[in-house]
Amino acid sequence: MSKTMIEVSDVTMRFRMNADRMMSLKEFVTTALQGKLEYQDFTALDHVSFEVKKGETLGLIGRNGAGKSTILKVISGILKPTSGRVVCHGNVVPMLELGSGFDMDLTGRENIFLNGAILGYSEEFLRGKYDEIVDFSELGGFIDAPIRNYSSGMLARLAFSVATVVKPEILIVDEILSVGDAAFQEKSRKRMVELMGGGTTVLFVSHNIQQIRGMCQKALWLEHGRMKMLGSANEVCDAYGG
Amino acid sequence: MQQEQKILRRMAVFLFVGYLTAVVLFYFLAGEQLHLRESRGNISLLPAESGTIELTAGSVVEQQFITTVQRLEQVSVQWGTYYRQNAGTVVMELWDLQSNHLLLSQTFDAASIAEGGLTTLAAEKPMEGLYHLPLALRITSPDSQPGSALSPLMNLQGKLEEAGGLFFNGSQTEGTLCFSVRGTDYIWTGLHYWEFAVSGLGLLLLFLAVIWYRVQKGERSYVINAIIAVQKYRFLIRQLVSRDFKTKYKRSILGMFWSFLNPLLTMCVQYFVFSTIFKSDIPNYAVYLLIGIVAFNFFSEACGMALSSIVGNAPLITKVYMPKYIYPLTRVISSVINLSISLIPLLIVSALTGVSFNKSIILSLYFLCCVIIFSLGLGLLLSTSMVFFRDTQFLWGVLSMIWMYATPIFYPESILPDNFKFILKVNPLYHFLKNIRICILDGISPEPVVYVQCLLMALLALIVGSLVFRKNQDRFVLYL
Repeated sequence: MSKTMIEVSDVTMRFRMNADRMMSLKEFVTTALQGKLEYQDFTALDHVSFEVKKGETLGLIGRNGAGKSTILKVISGILKPTSGRVVCHGNVVPMLELGSGFDMDLTGRENIFLNGAILGYSEEFLRGKYDEIVDFSELGGFIDAPIRNYSSGMLARLAFSVATVVKPEILIVDEILSVGDAAFQEKSRKRMVELMGGGTTVLFVSHNIQQIRGMCQKALWLEHGRMKMLGSANEVCDAYGG
Repeated sequence: MQQEQKILRRMAVFLFVGYLTAVVLFYFLAGEQLHLRESRGNISLLPAESGTIELTAGSVVEQQFITTVQRLEQVSVQWGTYYRQNAGTVVMELWDLQSNHLLLSQTFDAASIAEGGLTTLAAEKPMEGLYHLPLALRITSPDSQPGSALSPLMNLQGKLEEAGGLFFNGSQTEGTLCFSVRGTDYIWTGLHYWEFAVSGLGLLLLFLAVIWYRVQKGERSYVINAIIAVQKYRFLIRQLVSRDFKTKYKRSILGMFWSFLNPLLTMCVQYFVFSTIFKSDIPNYAVYLLIGIVAFNFFSEACGMALSSIVGNAPLITKVYMPKYIYPLTRVISSVINLSISLIPLLIVSALTGVSFNKSIILSLYFLCCVIIFSLGLGLLLSTSMVFFRDTQFLWGVLSMIWMYATPIFYPESILPDNFKFILKVNPLYHFLKNIRICILDGISPEPVVYVQCLLMALLALIVGSLVFRKNQDRFVLYL
């Protein structure tokens, strides 16, 4: 049970910000020729290191802009760190935003396959789980309608159903627990608990301290990109002021 | 390890069989053009500026020249008639001056020769062994009378390199006779085709052996990684392509029929607009035009779609990880599907206009592949550039328009003045297009070296594009 699943070693993420980011080619060339090309660095993550073992649930807390989402993006491979290294042992399913890659002109059915493919599921897997996804989403006959006709709740339900059908080894969650109406919220919360209980390693971002206390064993408190505190969920939450 | 070996074995078999098939297929499809090409030593007709002498009985016009044609097939002379009806006969003779040996001789009826007309002295079978020998084209008339005799035309300035010169009745004159020499040369690579094929096979086996060795040692190999990546993301690529395709024609009544109709309609419009100007210069102008339209439409669509692929998928790129090359690649693949649909009207129009379907038509697919590879390379480059400079899309709009006019799509290449010919030389699309047309319209294969040239141009674009893309892909997400 103590196999290390995620190793984050000394990760620093620095963004370059110039005064006006959208430059035209002409502007770029003229300013570069004048030697006035200045960048202001913004450090989103500053030497962050931690590791998560198999089956553990790590909660990330911190104020807005503390770097929580950035570290999730670095771990899921979307961002490449300026320095440092991230190693993941196992398949990572990032749930940073539900339904990314949905195409409004396609039907629900087509979107299940499209979104599933984007999340990295295989074709056989999706075919096998297709009925389960449709059942869970409670969409019924609407599944063959173009999703531009869906209500936002229906969209969210479909997205949640596709995203959570898999049993990933590493799950990365960025506050997606409140989806749909009260009944579906309860259902989705159960599904999440089920996922986290099944030996999955979970990285979990939330502003809801109660959720962190309830679902995580360990917690990491980030402030201005630096690690403020890493320890058991209750200790860190107490210190954070929840 | 086990999986890698399995992949490698499958790849080895696939490459081996594919290579052998390609080599044998090419041998049969290329036909005679594999061994022989239009000679580089062909002498072409100079513009006529003046008559020589009136060719009455007893007078001799002789043009001495040295040929570098390996297999001489025919010699032609251009005639002036003084704009009158002539009588009698003229004799054309081709002499080998070294051994003073008559090679060819033929008599022509003067009455049937028109002003500016050509008479051609053709060899029954190509004459070999004349390479770098001094030859003479001797024109005489046994029976023409002054007042009704022809005169061969000449060019006053033109000079042949290493030429013996022009002689009237034995005395040398300035200028050159308006004559042409045509023949074919052997292609060295074509003569050694099987040697090349075998050494290519050797290289292939060596390449496989090196990879095999590296896999045995447990090293990561780029090739294996690439194949695993392709297998892993095959489903995703298929989904994205089918999305592109479904959404493109969603809510349109004719749907994908538009892919079929579009080039046909463009062709009709351009055919009616340009046919009066260019029709006479180009045999089968409709097919000529349609090939250009289909190929260029693909090119501009693929590049245009790839250009916006990264920026357009920004919401996805910032939320989900997948290799970024997938975005431009899927766009190009969607365009390829479009291209294959638009080949149907091309086939139909070809059949209707009486293009003889030779086996060389299959070879045109090779050059279409070159267009595809080239477009992919350029698309990678453009999509990278678009991330950092959004001006790229507008620049590309202008550039693709210039490119369209710099490529002979609806006009014959001969209308370009000489000082603009270099534009065609440096335009890869022109080369691809020209060879597709040779394969389909002329029904023959271009000479072998052209295949290598076209592939190199396409691969160069792909390599440059992928290198630039790979170097910058990690920074994309910061600029979206």
